Amino acid sequence: MRMGTIRVRLTLAAVLIGGSTLHLSAQAAAPAAEQRNPLAGDASAIRSGTVLFRQECAYCHGVGARGGFRGPDLTTGSWTHGGADADLARTILDGVPGTAMPPHRLTSEEIWQIVSYLRTVQQPPSTPIGDPQRGEAIFFGAGGCASCHIVKGRGGRLGPELSTVGSARPRAYLVESIRQPARHLAENHVFGDSSLRYDTVTVVTADGRSIVGVPMNEDTFTLQLMDTSERVHSLDKKTLKSVRHENRSLMPAYDAAKLPDADLDHLVAYLQSLRTAPVARTKGGSYEN
Amino acid sequence: MKTESIALALALCLAAAPAAAQVTSERLANASAEPQQWLMYSGSYDGSRFSPLDQINRTNVQRLALQWVLQTGVRGRHETTPLVIDGVMYLTTPQNHAYAVDVRTGRPLWHYERTLPKEMSLCCGPQNRGFAALGDRLFMGTLDAHVVSLDARTGRVRWDVAAADADKGYSFTGAPLVVKDKIVIGVAGGEYGVRGFIDAYEADSGKRAWRFYTIPGEGEPGNDTWKGDSWKRGGAPTWVTGSYDPTLNLLYWGTGNPGPQMYGANRLGDNLYSDSLVALDPDTGKLKWHFQFTPHDVHDWDSTHTPILFDDTIAGTPRKLVAVANRNGFFYVLDRVTGAFLLGRPYTQVTWAKEVDANGRPIVLPNTDPSPNGTRVCPSGTGGTNWHSPSYSPRTHLVYFFSYEQCDTFLSDEKLEPPYQPGRLFIGSAFFGVPEERSESAVRAVDPKTGTVKWEFREYADAWAGVFSTAGGLVFSGDGQGNFIALDAESGRDLWHVQLGASIHTAAVSFAVDGRQHVAIVAGDAVFAFALPRQ
Repeated sequence: MRMGTIRVRLTLAAVLIGGSTLHLSAQAAAPAAEQRNPLAGDASAIRSGTVLFRQECAYCHGVGARGGFRGPDLTTGSWTHGGADADLARTILDGVPGTAMPPHRLTSEEIWQIVSYLRTVQQPPSTPIGDPQRGEAIFFGAGGCASCHIVKGRGGRLGPELSTVGSARPRAYLVESIRQPARHLAENHVFGDSSLRYDTVTVVTADGRSIVGVPMNEDTFTLQLMDTSERVHSLDKKTLKSVRHENRSLMPAYDAAKLPDADLDHLVAYLQSLRTAPVARTKGGSYEN
Repeated sequence: MKTESIALALALCLAAAPAAAQVTSERLANASAEPQQWLMYSGSYDGSRFSPLDQINRTNVQRLALQWVLQTGVRGRHETTPLVIDGVMYLTTPQNHAYAVDVRTGRPLWHYERTLPKEMSLCCGPQNRGFAALGDRLFMGTLDAHVVSLDARTGRVRWDVAAADADKGYSFTGAPLVVKDKIVIGVAGGEYGVRGFIDAYEADSGKRAWRFYTIPGEGEPGNDTWKGDSWKRGGAPTWVTGSYDPTLNLLYWGTGNPGPQMYGANRLGDNLYSDSLVALDPDTGKLKWHFQFTPHDVHDWDSTHTPILFDDTIAGTPRKLVAVANRNGFFYVLDRVTGAFLLGRPYTQVTWAKEVDANGRPIVLPNTDPSPNGTRVCPSGTGGTNWHSPSYSPRTHLVYFFSYEQCDTFLSDEKLEPPYQPGRLFIGSAFFGVPEERSESAVRAVDPKTGTVKWEFREYADAWAGVFSTAGGLVFSGDGQGNFIALDAESGRDLWHVQLGASIHTAAVSFAVDGRQHVAIVAGDAVFAFALPRQ
């Protein structure tokens, strides 16, 4: 099951992440940069790593590590923060400052167990089938993608930014997002409230006007909506005739008639080429500034 | 009581106010006679969270104006219920900080800060839900499983006792309850394989008077409802404050989930007294009766709800009753003298049980247990409601509480069950939202004589506020997006709201200052006090 659309609530499970990082047994020291996983391929370590992953990581990274509500898919073979054993171990231990990835005070053994598990779900990096340059032309041209999506500063504001989507999502996810965008809604984390998604909301005003857009924020009484021309509306729900959450993406489905398979391959190749610049890591992992 | 008589009562009490803040057990037992105070967690022993003050009412609530704000400066979810005693508000915050505040101006009088261990086993954050008060002392349970007594006038520590081993996952998050000369407190840690208990401490010395284990030990009745030695780490915590009936001299307290909460094969049996309401003798801690809502729970449906004690006539017979809106989706009414089951009806979508039988035991439907590939069950793991305070109005005879319309996918896999390790999570897998399903929440009013929902007020998405009702015909609540809301207690119509800019995770309280009724709510890291403008 893909966990890209998990509703976020302050459930017990939601706070377990914070909770689990509060407890702690003896904390592991950061592994040396060249260190290999001493438990690589060990069946018992993989089992323990599976358990630990489910408990410590799955809420963000999804069941089976296939991507969750705020953590990327970890099966793609693309590692933004380094893919060597020591890199993975250090990312788990220290977290990624400035992101939702917290430090984890697990023992060295536990961290290596998780790394052992991750290696079992990791797919070989997929070689793009299409031509990224032609994909870029489709993205900014005939495909109309840029009317709603920003890449490296160019494009529209309604949809999720895609500047690093190739690091976070595998090919299959991208294909499905283009062919069947309604299947899974991405979440809008702009306000730190992950219950907001790229849902489509249609309101009808007192004078009978329809406004269709994406919610920027909402509470019991008000709704802040960006319409399809990127205008922001501040609305009092009581003054509206109706508010309908469509529970589907505004994005149209690009079926084979709209986007032939060959063009889809080009477009996906382009999206896969959009990656985070690897973070330069100093030895010892200091983030003071 | 009429407005005039309340005003008079206020004036009389005011004259005596500044002298000595001495909370006696008599004052606590008659808390509703002093509506200008908020003397304990639920306002009064019956758990009703109801204020007899009616100065703020349905016709003037729209004129509520901000009087003061206290920024606590402590980050984190504030789940506290402030106490108001003789002109001073006593407030706890996350991380076991605490404040005393001049209730007229909002200016702090003292600030207590506890040094906590860096490493603690806390499932759900460093929360605290409030103080209890007796004499000139305050009592707080701490995240490192101590109970502390503070001097109410200075915030200085009078005594500090270790109650349990924090390294094994025990912690205190709930407010204690004073019963006579004892401080009664429940424990958290149901996610860490603890063995739950309710403790009582002598108020003056901090000496432990009794402990009631919520899981019977070897040889005790009920121990055989646990497979093997699973009872030793079976959870059943007691993290929300209970209620007390001074006439019956019975203490009522809810118990939490059995552990690991989503994997039950290693703890086959009913798992007494998890997910139950227990009635104890507060002098000895002896069990008088129990009622288990969810035998052998595998969905994390703690029954740590504030029990609401009320009297009403059922089938022509006047009865002493206790009502609980349960996390498992059913609303229950029991006889609080005997624990006899009287009523159990769903108040939200329930897919795990067909109904409850004549004894209140749920008739569980097949294929509703967590599974390796996930099982969709309603209510969600959060429950149809959760710990947030309910309220009962003796004017409308309705029970008000927060509820959720949402379902979860519950996962569990025997091949992936982690072994028990002290102080580590011991939960048996996980639960997640169901993709493509919106969660909704609502304040609901239920008639406790029939269990029928009389009205509901829908709120946007994830709300975690409690509910509070007043003799002014109002129900106060809040949403997860920062709106503090006043509803009509009869109809549920929204009468007033204000956006406070941060989500609300607790219930409001009411008190009076110089004869003016105030309503205070904690939102974000701040306390906001409202009143009608001065004449």
